[in-house]
Amino acid sequence: MPLLRNGHLVTDNPWIRLEDDVPTTSPAANAATVDAPLLVSMTRFLELQAHTNSGVSGVFLSPEDDVQLLSEHLHRIQVIVINFPKYTDGRGYSQARMLREQFHFAGELRASGDVRPDQLLFMARAGIDAFEFAETPDEKQIKQILARFQVNYQPSYALPVAG
Amino acid sequence: MYNYTEYDRDFLKSRVAEFRDQTERRLSGELDEEEYKQLRLRNGLYLQRQAYMLRVAIPYGMLSSVQMKKLAHIARVYDKGYGHITTRQNIQYNWPELEQVPDILAELADVDMHAIQTSGNCIRNTTTDPLAGAIGDEVDDPRPWCELIRQWSTLHPEFNWLPRKFKIAVTGALSDRAAIQVHDIGLRLVRNEAGASGFEVLVGGGLGRTPYIGQVIHEFLPTQHLLTYLAAILRVYNLEGRRDNLYKARIKILVNALGIDTFREKVDQQWARSRDTDDTFTAEQFSALKAQFPTAPLLGTLQTTVELDNGSHKGPDQMFSNPLFNQWYQTNTRPHRDSGRRIVYLSLKAPGVPAGDITADQMDKVAELAERFSESEIRSTHEQNLVLAHVPVDDLFKLWSELKAVRLATPNLGKLTDMIVCPGLDYCSLANAGTLEIHDQIYQRFDDLDYLHELGDVSIKISGCMNACGHHHVGDIGILGVDKGGVEWYQLTIGGHAGNKAALGQRLGKAIAKSDVADAIGHLLEAYIAVREPEESFHDTVMRLGTTPFKEKVYATAA
Repeated sequence: MPLLRNGHLVTDNPWIRLEDDVPTTSPAANAATVDAPLLVSMTRFLELQAHTNSGVSGVFLSPEDDVQLLSEHLHRIQVIVINFPKYTDGRGYSQARMLREQFHFAGELRASGDVRPDQLLFMARAGIDAFEFAETPDEKQIKQILARFQVNYQPSYALPVAG
Repeated sequence: MYNYTEYDRDFLKSRVAEFRDQTERRLSGELDEEEYKQLRLRNGLYLQRQAYMLRVAIPYGMLSSVQMKKLAHIARVYDKGYGHITTRQNIQYNWPELEQVPDILAELADVDMHAIQTSGNCIRNTTTDPLAGAIGDEVDDPRPWCELIRQWSTLHPEFNWLPRKFKIAVTGALSDRAAIQVHDIGLRLVRNEAGASGFEVLVGGGLGRTPYIGQVIHEFLPTQHLLTYLAAILRVYNLEGRRDNLYKARIKILVNALGIDTFREKVDQQWARSRDTDDTFTAEQFSALKAQFPTAPLLGTLQTTVELDNGSHKGPDQMFSNPLFNQWYQTNTRPHRDSGRRIVYLSLKAPGVPAGDITADQMDKVAELAERFSESEIRSTHEQNLVLAHVPVDDLFKLWSELKAVRLATPNLGKLTDMIVCPGLDYCSLANAGTLEIHDQIYQRFDDLDYLHELGDVSIKISGCMNACGHHHVGDIGILGVDKGGVEWYQLTIGGHAGNKAALGQRLGKAIAKSDVADAIGHLLEAYIAVREPEESFHDTVMRLGTTPFKEKVYATAA
């Protein structure tokens, strides 16, 4: 899926998302490498933490997940995928801000699901810095949208506009 | 009132450009209606029964005369020559063309106005006491706090996609004129024993199909924590409020499902982590805001030595010897904290006019009168009237004469014909029943001012559906339009109240046929006059006796 990261659209998106019903010993999971690491649900990630140091460094969240549960483990996580099942479902914005501001997560926060150009500004300002689209968006339009506001009423995160 | 800085103007220009772009993409077909709907709603643009409706924000009800003239211009050029003041102190235009909306917004931005977040599932226009900064019973002026909330909530990165709309009201007075107990969050400025100021915070009130009175979540929140505490409440709501059912998505449902104590624990837990890290404001920033709301220059004691120049000024004796003036003065004006001034209500409830409607010519006249008599400032009220808050006593007669000439001096403030009425079936695509005809029917039946004054203050509030935009739950008499097999019927409630003694009206009995509503109101009033104690209000009478004497009168006669 096309991914907007650091202001650039990239097409290689080398993470392997492992659903909860697929065992970590499956071929799909074994295909994971350093360059293409695994993403697992928060529940599974926490289970893995309890047992061994699994090396899994990607988590995909559901809107219901309480991100506080991840707070002890964030140093082992490279990327957290925040799911927007519908673009009108705003729970992901709170998850992002809590991860950034309360728990100081410094890795990648990636929006996934119903991600639309007109939402990017809110997402980026809430601390999300990568955006996964279902279809390749108009890059020019995205840049225009992200560059629109020079000022805002709330302090917020840097926008992912490439120079 | 608050004066925009370059910062505010830069922001607003960007917002106008953004919405113009979104609208162009809609018109070109690039955006579908489903997606555009959410975007336009966050800019106050609804698709109604017959046309688009644009709701323009009047932040906490404060308007300058320059802004009022612009509203008149927009009514004239882009609409049918009038606007409608809403129960959120905003103004609605019912007939704009979609293609012209970006231009309207650009014109509004020229006078520091906008339509941001006047609809959609986000933080709406914050409302307050329309007499703020002028009335005597004030602990502190709520308007700088409203402005702070306005800025903080405008395009907030986290809270623009809530489960449902979110309404905040603030009062700084002892007497609640902002209905804070029926808001998602109600804030009351208070002082503690040490004299420090803080907020009593209420949460989970609201009308709509499941009405609740708000509950106290914090008895004394020191003012410097206002924004972080609001954010903590909003975050718990954003994460945990229901999104599966539109009718159960308001914060009142969450608060009541969890119980106020559990809800408070969640907020406190959230707040403990965010109160020192979340974005907030400095004392200097707030002082700068506060300085934007100076008090009107003190006139002091009543001046009686005014020169009588060809009748345009009248001394108190001459003023009050005019019975019509006297009646208006008693009904539509209130004491200002400065005895040399008076607070004046402009009734938008003249006979034959939909409640809250104001023509472009009236708007221009109001702007002119505000410049001459009231510090160039106008307020809108949630009861759908206007206020000139600082009128010198010596100018009252002149003001009254000019208001009368433009039909803005109907002496019915707080009386039966000062009804709150939602637009109803004639305009609104949600409504089940008409409200405008009911309003007219009642108005025609009770147009005898002497009778209205004998009755005292009795409020009628009319909603065309369960969404309760007409606030029927908190009217002395509430009227709710319902649809029964394609026929409009009206459910009456009595004993509701929106002020300090906030209460939800009690259902009287079976619904009334459309043609019989005014008769039923007549019976209610007869019952009230028959059983009330001297000086007893309608609400107190219902509290004391319950609905029975009223029910008997209405249904016995109807049967």
